[in-house]
Amino acid sequence: MTRWILAALFATSLGLHAQFLDPKTLLSPSTSEWPTYNGDYSGKRFSPLKQIDSSNVGMLGMAWAFQTGVPNGQGLKSTPLLVDGTLYFTGPDDVWAIDARTGRQRWHYHNPPNEGLHIGQRGVGMYKGWLYFETPDAHLLCLDAKDGKVIWNVELADVKLGYWATMAPLIIRDHVLVGVSGDFNDLHGFIDSLDPETGKLQWKWNSLPEPGTPGSETWPTNSDAIRHGGGMPWITGTYDPELNLVYWGTGNPNPVLDGTTRPGANLYTCTIVALNPDTGELVWHFQPSPHDVHDWDAVQTPVVVDGDFHGSQRRLLLQASRNGYYFVLDRTNGKALLSVPYAEINWSNGTDANGQPVAKIDKYPTHAGTLVEPDALGATNWMSPSFSPETGLLYVDTHRSFSLYYDYATDKPEGFAGRDLSIWSESSLKALDYKTGKTKWDHPLGRWEDWAGVLSTAGGIVFTGDTQGNMLALDAATGATLWHGYGGGAVQMAPITYELDGRQYVVIGSSGVLYGLSLPEAFLDHSGSAAK
Amino acid sequence: MVKVCGLFLVLTLGIYCLPAQDRSEGTTIGDTAGEASSGQAMFQQNCGFCHGRDGRGASGPDLIRSTLVNHDVSGDLIGPVVHNGRPNQGMPAFQLADAQVRQIAAFLHQQGKLASTVASRIPTEYPIEQLLVGNSDAGKAYFNGSGRCVQCHSVTGNLAHVASKYKPLELQSRIVFPDGAKSTATVTDRSGHQYTGEVLYSDEFFVTLFSDGKPRTWDRRTAKVAIQDPLAAHVGLLTQYTDKDIHDVFAYLESLK
Repeated sequence: MTRWILAALFATSLGLHAQFLDPKTLLSPSTSEWPTYNGDYSGKRFSPLKQIDSSNVGMLGMAWAFQTGVPNGQGLKSTPLLVDGTLYFTGPDDVWAIDARTGRQRWHYHNPPNEGLHIGQRGVGMYKGWLYFETPDAHLLCLDAKDGKVIWNVELADVKLGYWATMAPLIIRDHVLVGVSGDFNDLHGFIDSLDPETGKLQWKWNSLPEPGTPGSETWPTNSDAIRHGGGMPWITGTYDPELNLVYWGTGNPNPVLDGTTRPGANLYTCTIVALNPDTGELVWHFQPSPHDVHDWDAVQTPVVVDGDFHGSQRRLLLQASRNGYYFVLDRTNGKALLSVPYAEINWSNGTDANGQPVAKIDKYPTHAGTLVEPDALGATNWMSPSFSPETGLLYVDTHRSFSLYYDYATDKPEGFAGRDLSIWSESSLKALDYKTGKTKWDHPLGRWEDWAGVLSTAGGIVFTGDTQGNMLALDAATGATLWHGYGGGAVQMAPITYELDGRQYVVIGSSGVLYGLSLPEAFLDHSGSAAK
Repeated sequence: MVKVCGLFLVLTLGIYCLPAQDRSEGTTIGDTAGEASSGQAMFQQNCGFCHGRDGRGASGPDLIRSTLVNHDVSGDLIGPVVHNGRPNQGMPAFQLADAQVRQIAAFLHQQGKLASTVASRIPTEYPIEQLLVGNSDAGKAYFNGSGRCVQCHSVTGNLAHVASKYKPLELQSRIVFPDGAKSTATVTDRSGHQYTGEVLYSDEFFVTLFSDGKPRTWDRRTAKVAIQDPLAAHVGLLTQYTDKDIHDVFAYLESLK
C-alpha cells in the first residue's frame, strides 16, 4: 500500500511537471514567457514585443500591483520568471507565485529562519514543473511549481564558514547550475551542476585551481592563499547552445582589499570563464581585473551577441564590468577584441597585450587612504544590462563614484582586510555602441547609486528606474524620457515584459511591491491591438 | 560584494553600506565579552605559539577559517581537541578546565566575528597615526595656493579648530568631500514669479523648495529651475586631488587643532 502511494505520488509529480516548462523552450522562448533569469540564454534582456512603443508608452498605466509585505529596505531584487501565465519571484526567504494577468497570489513559500546573509535574492530557475531557489544559508531548494511545496533541499556550502547565496539558478537541459556568495571570509568560489530531479551533484567547477594545475601559477606556492582566495560566481551566467559553452563571471579575490599575501593575477577570480555545461570543463578564460584589490567582481552579465564587428560577422561576448572597463570578447576563444573604459576611472593606465587592464600600484588601498574612482560598489554592479539588436546599444546602469580606500590589515590580512569610504557618487544609464564602447547617450539617474536593471524592447523603449524611485521608459535611440511613474519605493530589480491575450505587460518592482503595467484597456479595445 | 544603500540614506560622512544581517550572529551564542577577554590571555599563553596570537595561524593552522571552530558552540567541539590534542599532527593535549576552554572558544568566536564584521564598516576610532603621513607645510601651501581652498575657507574662520570637531577619519573624508551642505534653488514659474529657497526634493520631474515660509513643489515642465550646489567646487576637485594633497592638507588641518 505504502509503495503504491509513493509510486502514485512520484507519477503525479513527474506527470504534472511536464505541463509547465520543457527545457527546450529555453532555446527560443515565446513572447508570452520569461522562463529564465535573463529571459533567454543570451543575457540581452531584449523583447521583440512592440505593442507598447515610443508613440504610446506615455499612456502606460497600472494593470495590477502585488504587495509582498516585505519591509522597504528589503526590496525586490528578483527578476520574475513567467511560465504558463504564472509569475515566480523571490525575496531572500520567500518565493511568490502570482497570476500574470491579475496579480493575484497563487501560492507563497516562506523559508524557515536561517542565519545566512539576507542581502538579496535574484530569482528562481525552472525545469519542467519544478523551481530551484537558493537560500541565504546557501541551500538549494527544489519546489513544486504548482503549490510551492519543497521537494528536496540540498546544502551547497557551509553557512557557518561565511557562505551565503542570492543568485537565480541557470537551467541547461538536465543541469541546474548554481553559484554561491561570501567574501567577508576567505573562502573559495565554485559553480555546481546538479541533477534537476534529485539534487545530486553532476560536476563542480572551482574558481580556484588545484595547486600544480593551470592557473595555480598565479598564486603563491608557499602558503594556502590559493585555497582561501575567493572568486564567488554570484550572478547567473549566459549560454551559447551552438558552441555549448556557458559564460560566467567570478567575484573578487580574498583577502579583499589587501593583496600582499596573494601576489600574482589570482586566477580564476574577477574572471569571465567559458565552461562546458555537461562536464564543467574550463574551455577559456579572460580576466577583467588581474590581482584585484578594490572588490571589483567581474560577475556582470556576459551578453551573447552575434553581429558585425568592424567588417566581419563575429560571435561576441560583451561585458560592462564593475571596474569601469567595457570588454568585447570573441566567445569562441575568449580573446579580447576591445577593452576600453566606459566610465571615468583613475586606477588604470591601459591594458596589457591580452586586453586585460593594468592597475596603478599607487591606487591600491593604504593605511592612510587612497582616493579611487570608482568606489568598491563599482562603475556598475549586479544590475542587469540590456542589449538591443535594433539600436546596437548596450544599456548599462552606471555609477560615477569616488571612495577613500583603507587597508587596515594588521599582521595577517584576512577577510575584507580594509574597507572603502564612499565619498561621492551619481548614476546614469549609459547607452554604449557595442562596437566601440563609446557612449551614444547618457541619461542622468540622480545622486548616489542606482540599483535598477534594464529591459529594452522592439517598441524602441528602454525600461529602468532612477535613484529617486521613478520607474522610467526612455527612447532607446536617444535616451529621452517618454514616461515615468513613482511606485513608492526603490527600483532594485530588472523589469520584464510579456504578452498575454494580446496585451503587453511590463513588470517592475518598487521596494516590496511588484507592478504590472500595460496600456489602458480602452486604448487597446479602440486600437484593435487586443484582437490581433 | 553587493551592498544596498538605502535610497535616502545620506549621512554626513558619506554612506556606510551595512549588510542587512551580520552573518556570524549564530556563532556567538553564550559567548560574552568577559569570557572572550579571559580567553585571549589563555589562548595566547597556551595556543598562540603555534596558532598565532590572534588565531590566524603560524606553524599551526589558521583557526579563524577552521570549519570546526566555526561550528563550535561554547567549546563543544573545541574542547575535545584541546583535551585530546592531535598527536599525529603534532598537537599535544592540554589539561584545561571546561570553563577555560569556553573562554578560549569565546575568544576565537570573537576573532572570527571581528574578521567578518570588518567587512561592513571602517572603525570610527581609526588611529590618527595611520592617517598622518602627509606634510603639514605642503598642506598649508596647497591650501593657500594651488588647491584654492582659501577661495571659500579660512583656518581662522569657517575651518577654525576643525580638527577638534571631527574624528580623524571623518576629517579626512570631509576634506575630500564635506557632504551635508544644502543646495538652494531659484524657480521661475510660468507667470514669471521667482521663488528662492532650500531644495527639499529634486528629481528629473519635480523640484520642491522651502520658500516663503512653506514647502512648494513645481513640475519642471512648468518652471525654470536653477539649482546652486555649494559643493560644486568640491565635486570638481575629486578629479584634481592627488593622494599626497589629501594627506598633506589633513596633516595641516590636524596641526591647527
